[in-house]
Amino acid sequence: MNNAFGWRYLTVAALLGVVGLGVLVQVVHLQTSPEAQRITADNEFYNFTWKTYYPARGDIYDRNGNLLAGNKTVYEVGVDLHTTFDANTVALAAQMYLGLDYASAYKMITQPDAGVVYVVLKDFVPADKAEALMAFQKSVQNDPTGHNLAALAFKPHLERSYPEGSLAANLLGFVLQDGRGYYGVEEKYNNILAGVPQTLLVPTNPNQAASLPDIPPGANLILTIDRDLQAYIEQLLDKSVQDSGAASGTIIVMNPRNGEIMAMATTPRMDLNDTTQYATLFPGSTPYDRAISQAFEPGSVLKILTMAGALDSKTVTPDTTFLDTGVFNYGGATIHNWNDGAWGLQDMTGCLANSLNVCLAWVSTTMGNDPFYSYMKRFGLGHLTGIDLAGEVPGRLKLPGDGDWYPVDLATNAFGQGVAITPIQLVMAASAIANGGKMVYPHILYAIVQDGKQHNLSPQIVGTPISADTANTLNNMLAVALETEGSRGLVTGYRISGKTGTAEIPSPTGGYDSTQTNASFIGWGPTDNPQFMVYVWLERPTSSIWGSLVAAPVFKQVVQKYVVLEGIPPDSIRLQQSNGH
Amino acid sequence: MHIENVTQIVQKYRQAPWRAQRQWIGLFLLGLVGVAMVAGIYVNITTRADLAGRDIQIVNDEILTHQQENADYDTQLASLTSTDSMMKRAEAIGFQPVTPDEMTYVVVPGYQPKGPINMSSAPQLSSAPLILPAYTESLFDWFANQIDATPPSGGQP
Repeated sequence: MNNAFGWRYLTVAALLGVVGLGVLVQVVHLQTSPEAQRITADNEFYNFTWKTYYPARGDIYDRNGNLLAGNKTVYEVGVDLHTTFDANTVALAAQMYLGLDYASAYKMITQPDAGVVYVVLKDFVPADKAEALMAFQKSVQNDPTGHNLAALAFKPHLERSYPEGSLAANLLGFVLQDGRGYYGVEEKYNNILAGVPQTLLVPTNPNQAASLPDIPPGANLILTIDRDLQAYIEQLLDKSVQDSGAASGTIIVMNPRNGEIMAMATTPRMDLNDTTQYATLFPGSTPYDRAISQAFEPGSVLKILTMAGALDSKTVTPDTTFLDTGVFNYGGATIHNWNDGAWGLQDMTGCLANSLNVCLAWVSTTMGNDPFYSYMKRFGLGHLTGIDLAGEVPGRLKLPGDGDWYPVDLATNAFGQGVAITPIQLVMAASAIANGGKMVYPHILYAIVQDGKQHNLSPQIVGTPISADTANTLNNMLAVALETEGSRGLVTGYRISGKTGTAEIPSPTGGYDSTQTNASFIGWGPTDNPQFMVYVWLERPTSSIWGSLVAAPVFKQVVQKYVVLEGIPPDSIRLQQSNGH
Repeated sequence: MHIENVTQIVQKYRQAPWRAQRQWIGLFLLGLVGVAMVAGIYVNITTRADLAGRDIQIVNDEILTHQQENADYDTQLASLTSTDSMMKRAEAIGFQPVTPDEMTYVVVPGYQPKGPINMSSAPQLSSAPLILPAYTESLFDWFANQIDATPPSGGQP
């Protein structure tokens, strides 16, 4: 009996053994076959995904730590085509909450390109709109008819935001949705602010989870500007442009000791949070920042550079006299004074105080071509200042030998005609007079903050076009000139040096239009220890064409605000302090 | 006679066949339980590692989210304290801009005017990996590291 069943048991056992062995062989085969290796390789591919990490764009602060440019959260709203969804509901929601056209949204999600599993409906959706859509998605998630929005996906990311709106818009520039900075600081320091995006292979397999890559964010920048002063001069500039009927205006406030731009305003300005205004506000060739991008004939403010060169070259002294007959013939042209009058015997301070074209033309022609243009070049005319803002233009200083230079240019250049400069060039050149002969590099960046460390930038001297003695002499002459003139730019309690400018505007048909001017004023103070330099330029004012009437009062108001904000006491108190200590 | 006696004695003390089978089955089951225990421990450890990995992924996402939220809050705060809004608030509670005539300067010996801001912060966290090696290294790696870390015998006094 036992033997009878024995072989049967053995047979079953053998069969089971063979089957078991077959299973084992097949398991080994599956693990080692070429197909298995391919599947493993594919699996490795799906274990990782390429992901690009964009570091947060660095913030921009004013000198007191007030945020001028930061970041805000916006959303990319898309549809996961792997998820079952009702296209009508999704398209309708896109129309209601994202402002998309229903038909195009419907087409995007029902007719995607081959192989596409995710469709972006709209990017840069403001947080409030995205959150409203999220709330709607949640409210219909259990819709019994299946009209839910489970397929909608929300991916938050950062977008540039400007909490001050249009404040300092011209010098900040802006960032578009491509993440690149345009104009101003945003363009000039784009690489530093943006950081370096990194595309990495990130494991999706939780068994291979890795820590976040160490991607340093963009550096933060601290600017030299003072937010409160900037706000004030913008407000003042807008009012001045309106009151004077000017086409545009520019104000620059700089510390002549170190070149720090304390404030810089031009018109027009746009709300940096709404870059769609750009095309409307800056049509055609309208410069984004006139302070650095618009060259024009500055007029009489340039006389300070002519006089600086003449004094430094010993062509004249402050006591040199000139008999002004009201007419000066040179290079085949006749030069007149601003009022066509003859001012009689004048010393050099009188020539500046009365802004005599005839006198300054005599000065430059007495200097001669080489010395005069040598000084103009040393003052940086015709060259970029190198200010750290994008979009600067060099202006134009015609030189002997140039095809369009004529001998009369030597005479007219002396009082700012036939030469084109930008406001920032004039400010930089004048800093040499206010700063003991040392011309400073105008700059907007105070410090870079990265990895928790602040790197302050050192002031730079770009040249010494005139001696300290010349600078101090001219500095004092310009103060006397303003006092003699009874300038509207004088500020009670503070001795000011400065010069007005009223430049006729070249006509497109040749010659000059005497009814349209560039009215300007450049001044600095306190004269014995300059701590601020202010340049005001109003383009084509209609209430008055004279810089002394429309620009000088603006200068005065800027200084009155500046001394309060920066805590600069009146000269009497300051000198008392210095003498006491 | 003598051989027969010996055979009888051997047969008497021989394991019964069913007992030998049970022993083999017992040994097999013991091995099976051992394998099952190892497999169970492996599954348990692997699952916990996967859960920890998943948690890390979630935390990574949360870090990014919080960084974005912080940036967002900074900007919102700056909007609330913008020049325009602060001026309006100041005017609403009765303040007005001071003019130079209204300023009184007091000489304070040793006073240093406030300079531009310094935004240097506390020393940053080290750039050491946030995930400890214990979460990523294999048993073999751990042994290798332990061996490497063991000081050689007979070292310095």
